[in-house]
Amino acid sequence: MLTESVPLMQAVVPVLPEMGLLLLLILVLMHGVFSPKESRRTVCVITGVGFFTLMVIHLSVGFNFVGDPDFSGSGLGDIVRVDAFAVMFRAMILLAAALTCLMSGESRAINRRVEFYVALIVAALGMCLMVAANDLILVYVALETASVSLYIMAGFQRDSKLSSEAGLKYYLFGAVTSAILLYGLSLIFGFTGETNFSRLGPALSALTANGSEGVFALVVALLLVLVGLGFKVAVVPFHFWTPDVYEGSPTPSVAFISTASKAASFGLLVRFFSIVWPAEMIPYWAGLLAALAAITMTLGNMLALVQKNIKRMLGYSSIAQAGYALIGVVALSDTELGAAAVAFYMAMYVLTNLAAFAVISAVEWNTGSVQIADYAGLSRRSFPLAIVMVVAMLSLGGVPPAAGFFGKFFLFSAAVDAGYTWLAIIGVVNAIIALFYYLTVIKVMFVGKAEDESRYTIRPRLAVVLWVTGVGILLMGTLASPWWRWAVEASQQLTVMLP
Amino acid sequence: MLVQQYLPIAILVLFAIIMALIVVFTSVIFGPHRPTKKKLAPYESGMTPIGPAVRRLPVRFYLVAVLFILFDVEIIFLLPYAVVIRQLGLYGLIATGVFVVILTVGLLYEWKKGGLDWE
Amino acid sequence: MSLTPLHAIFALMSLFTVGGAVGVVLNRNLIYAAMYLVLSLFGIAGLFILLEAPFLAAVQILVYVGAISVLITITVMVTRCVFCKEPPPRQLTLVAVMAALVMVTLGFVIMTRFGGLTPAADVPADSIEQLGVAFVNPQAYLVPFEVASILLLGALIGAIFIARDDLPRDEEAVGGDDHA
Repeated sequence: MLTESVPLMQAVVPVLPEMGLLLLLILVLMHGVFSPKESRRTVCVITGVGFFTLMVIHLSVGFNFVGDPDFSGSGLGDIVRVDAFAVMFRAMILLAAALTCLMSGESRAINRRVEFYVALIVAALGMCLMVAANDLILVYVALETASVSLYIMAGFQRDSKLSSEAGLKYYLFGAVTSAILLYGLSLIFGFTGETNFSRLGPALSALTANGSEGVFALVVALLLVLVGLGFKVAVVPFHFWTPDVYEGSPTPSVAFISTASKAASFGLLVRFFSIVWPAEMIPYWAGLLAALAAITMTLGNMLALVQKNIKRMLGYSSIAQAGYALIGVVALSDTELGAAAVAFYMAMYVLTNLAAFAVISAVEWNTGSVQIADYAGLSRRSFPLAIVMVVAMLSLGGVPPAAGFFGKFFLFSAAVDAGYTWLAIIGVVNAIIALFYYLTVIKVMFVGKAEDESRYTIRPRLAVVLWVTGVGILLMGTLASPWWRWAVEASQQLTVMLP
Repeated sequence: MLVQQYLPIAILVLFAIIMALIVVFTSVIFGPHRPTKKKLAPYESGMTPIGPAVRRLPVRFYLVAVLFILFDVEIIFLLPYAVVIRQLGLYGLIATGVFVVILTVGLLYEWKKGGLDWE
Repeated sequence: MSLTPLHAIFALMSLFTVGGAVGVVLNRNLIYAAMYLVLSLFGIAGLFILLEAPFLAAVQILVYVGAISVLITITVMVTRCVFCKEPPPRQLTLVAVMAALVMVTLGFVIMTRFGGLTPAADVPADSIEQLGVAFVNPQAYLVPFEVASILLLGALIGAIFIARDDLPRDEEAVGGDDHA
């Protein structure tokens, strides 16, 4: 009595990454139980290679089938929608997970415990579904799956007060805002009777056509949803967890949280605003988000200026970066280039932050310190680390030839396209202010003097991360157009209604 | 009306409350109340008490409660499946089987790693 | 409109729910607050029954009252002294004002949008059967169903790891000289 039988491929292809991740999860668990003691140490490489393989498979399958409506989710009742946008974001998440695995081999806090990699795989699975979700229920389940794993990863170092505080703060904030998000989603369902995004769009349009009381109700629901999603991307005023979590959690956890979680949340945010909300609602959320973006950028940059701990500084910097990306979401209201700008920016941001955190984890392993002052003379102690950090800081600051320049360029031009020139100007000013603390790190590395100038060795694992991220940033910065074209195509497929 | 089917439950709850109140208040009202210093001291099987009367609960109990919640949620997911088990046939068995197997793998992992040990 | 016994039952269940919630927030002893939470959750289960969702009422009692309240009580006993009174929350007036504001806004939205107290739409008699089928139907909610199990697995492994007394038996520190 199940409805017409669906060909297996049509049901499997849209969720192929998730199924692969499930198999990887079982593999890692069995490896943790049954393999002999000596080879348990290899779990980080196994998981990393697994993620890389999955990313490659996902990209080849995705490019093959994208645009084909039969294989993009209709086999699953349209509960997921695997368009080029989802393919791009899933690739980012899988890459971030792979590089985090390789980076985590040296972390004393993680100690290569299997539970970390289990949490990482479950988080990646939730995030892959988040960016492709086309249904309110799946949005919430995927969001929770990712969030719970991230709480575990944040509080992973049990004997450290900082890590436990980070995990607890992240969890408490996350649980409350997730409850508020759920209430907003249930209000949307209550107003329309639909949970599927494809049907929600027309239903919400019908609601707002009825007059101002419909609009007011939707605005309230929208605000509630923004609370939940704003927490995930660390927008003011929901940013309070970010500095403490970034400072206290183990470095690989922060690397993953700051890249994949932000990318997945922005993917969800963009999809939500471009498909679900009708055109009449735009004046309500566009202005509000523009104001939030301006405040977020400014606050993040101001507070980052005075930080002495590099992880905390990157925390405030990531708040500011969320502000920049939010400009792209605002631009979504008028031009589809907004979504493309956000996608490009997130791809750049994932590579950049991973590069920075790879260097931080290497320095932490060698000196045990995360204070900026202890990076003095890094160029002499380990030139590769210093160079990758330079590239990462330039990219975050928006300086060519690093990819961050094009990222900010596309964001600001999308804002101007959509009529938000004032926002673009604030963005440029903020980027200039931010350069100060990014360049300070570079100065300390090259000009500062350290007492101990012994050379560091870099493991092959970490070398892979440094090469991939460093080359990736420079490639995206110099030959940006193929990536930009991919992002534009992704954003165009967002709003096409598949049959 | 559907709700009237719950009338027996409501009566049961009412009787349970009344019974509980009777048991408590009968002993309060009709029991003799002649406290002496020795009678009011904390009871530890008749011997002189060792250590403080109130100690913090060990964390092991918390772990048991967490495990109980997780498997309780698994059970409630299996409840609707149990209602339509014949209708769904082999396909339903496989789909729900995947659900159960995923959780069983986790249980197996924790079992082998000593997460379920009491001591 | 005339008052039926259904209204009386609804009022009683709402009293349990809201009264229990107020008790949770205002009570200074955490164990008493947990007991008030149990009362509140029973009230919600009653509301589910009134909405003709018996499966949800059963789930509410099984999971919330049966497992989650027990977990909350055990958590209080593990972390706090059971007979103590917690200090009153700071900024109580500010929080109360904001909560009242949110309540008024949401209440206004719901009352105007849903047109007051109208009877719910027809609930099918075989809702549990339909739910069971929906869970395994790939065109319906199979994907969230399986993802829920993965979520439970992740939570299981993470919770046991974070709350363990000791670390796994065969643990060694990360050495610096492996080539994996």
